[in-house]
Amino acid sequence: MATRMKLKLKTVFVLYFMVSLMGLIYALMQLGQRCDCTEHNMPKDRTISRLRGELHRFQEQLRKSEATKQPQKQPAKPTIFVITPTYARLVQKAELTRLSQTFLNVPQLHWIVVEDSPHKTPLVTDLLVKSGLTHTHLHMPTAKDRKLQEGDPSWLKPRGVEQRNEGLRWLREDRRAQPGGDNQQGVVYFADDDNTYSLQIFEEMRSTERVSVWPVGLVGGMKYERPVVEGGKVVRFHTGWRPSRPFPMDMAGFAVSLKLILANQEACFDGDAPMGFLESSLLQGLVTMDELEPKADNCSKVLVWHTRTEKPKMKREEALQAQGLGSDRAVE
Amino acid sequence: MPKRRDIVAIILIVLPWTLLITVWHQSAITPLLSTRKGKSGLRGDIVEVVRTEYVYSRPPPWSDVLPSIHVITPTYSRPVQKAELTRLANTLLHVPNLHWILVEDSQRTTTSVVRLLQETGLNYTHLNVETPRNYKVRGDTRDPRIPRGTIQRNLALRWLRETFSINSSQSGIVYFADDDNTYSLELFDEMRSTKKVSVWPVAFVGGLRYESPKVNKLGKVYGWKTVFDPRRPFAIDMAGFAVNLRLILSKPQAYFKLRGVKGGYQESSLLKELVTLSDLEPKAANCTKVLVWHTRTEKPVLVNEGKKGFTDSNVEI
Repeated sequence: MATRMKLKLKTVFVLYFMVSLMGLIYALMQLGQRCDCTEHNMPKDRTISRLRGELHRFQEQLRKSEATKQPQKQPAKPTIFVITPTYARLVQKAELTRLSQTFLNVPQLHWIVVEDSPHKTPLVTDLLVKSGLTHTHLHMPTAKDRKLQEGDPSWLKPRGVEQRNEGLRWLREDRRAQPGGDNQQGVVYFADDDNTYSLQIFEEMRSTERVSVWPVGLVGGMKYERPVVEGGKVVRFHTGWRPSRPFPMDMAGFAVSLKLILANQEACFDGDAPMGFLESSLLQGLVTMDELEPKADNCSKVLVWHTRTEKPKMKREEALQAQGLGSDRAVE
Repeated sequence: MPKRRDIVAIILIVLPWTLLITVWHQSAITPLLSTRKGKSGLRGDIVEVVRTEYVYSRPPPWSDVLPSIHVITPTYSRPVQKAELTRLANTLLHVPNLHWILVEDSQRTTTSVVRLLQETGLNYTHLNVETPRNYKVRGDTRDPRIPRGTIQRNLALRWLRETFSINSSQSGIVYFADDDNTYSLELFDEMRSTKKVSVWPVAFVGGLRYESPKVNKLGKVYGWKTVFDPRRPFAIDMAGFAVNLRLILSKPQAYFKLRGVKGGYQESSLLKELVTLSDLEPKAANCTKVLVWHTRTEKPVLVNEGKKGFTDSNVEI
């Protein structure tokens, strides 16, 4: 009985060994080949493969259209350098988000964001990276005595001066290293983060030779302020507030050519200038009124608006925080 | 003793076979996809993102696969109207398969809005209906008992029901977007997968940094994190939810209630006809990210216009 058992066990083991060896070889053969997965085909996978197919189609279309464009390669459009000062407050992320969405529609735009802060904040850093825009992230804190305090009316002290000047400084330094020297093509525009810009204004300003100007809506206590144009030249300014200023217009109402900025290394905004003279403090040193180039159909169309965003009412938040139940601060 | 050996033998035979069979069963393994992250080039301070010209072909080409998003925006004439619609259009130009339904609170469609819509190149529908005088907000006071834009939104819903039949295979999402809010592009991606009604947090509403739905560990909405009347059936802002088009079409009686609606209950007046709390789909990482801000634009102070109007009224702003 015992020997029979032994024999049986041995043969069984040998048999098992052979079968499993064959199985292993078969499995190894299977690994290199595609599996027939039709039974696993779920709706999600189908959608994904259809989307991939569409993506391929669009990429093909794009390649074809770019191939036909190649022979007529146009000279590169002048880059618009947009300098935006910004500071931390509740609506900052919202303002920068919608501003970036406008800029994303404009080709050849370089966004220079200057934070009023002793260091770069993660909120702005992440936003800029996610925006998909070509950008430069700078920071420059405002001196304490120049800063607006809680409860100060917004017109009390000029805002964004140090930040705009920092933007100009960086631009000059960066462009010094570029080929072309002082003859580089480009336009510099100062865009505040709460204004509204149409896409046309960027195309209008691209052809700036020295300083171009246009109307600005909802500013100066009026529906719009604008330069008055006669015979293709600016003769005076239509504004309701202090029209005797050398350049009575808003920051959003003019653009300066890069050449002019590079040729006048000292030209910048004067923070000590009286209220409303900030724009003039820069432009006085750069251009005279008859040299101004009127855009927007001889300054008859409003393509940029000086909108302002309300400060959100946080009464309930403050009440909650007093109880220690404020909403999660970690959420931006 | 022989019996024990028998048992051992049988176990030793059977066990490997069971293992083999289970391994065989799981042999249909799909090959793992390797992902590659593209890096943007860094040159000193400048961050350049490599992008093709495609980004500037606005709006993006229509896809046959993505569900359409029907954005309903009521609007009314005031100095900042053109500015608001301009920047909203600049945002919407990046959203694929977008259909903008703009409803003016006016007797007739205004030429300025018509021109704006045509210039954007967006896929749009332009409607108008005037709010009767007795419903309009008196002067400048913001009376919360008379919700603004209700009649306009209802008209848009009616238009959708008349235009799309419930049998068509077209998938769509309906979103109510006011013209002064701020929307991130991520929001539109999130709402595209709505099956019934999806919800997310909204910033700057209810006197808080943000209001949001309360989501439990199972990913279901069970309440509302608000201070202002959290016991409302749907304590959410107009910008905080989106509805699947099929649901709108399948419940043709569901509209925003016009009369007798308490402040803050307008959204509930529609949603309670469509869905229950447990059906809500939380988005934005289980309602932990803020993707939409209820910004409000200041009313411009036009003191210098004077009685006769200092500026040329023919110039459109």
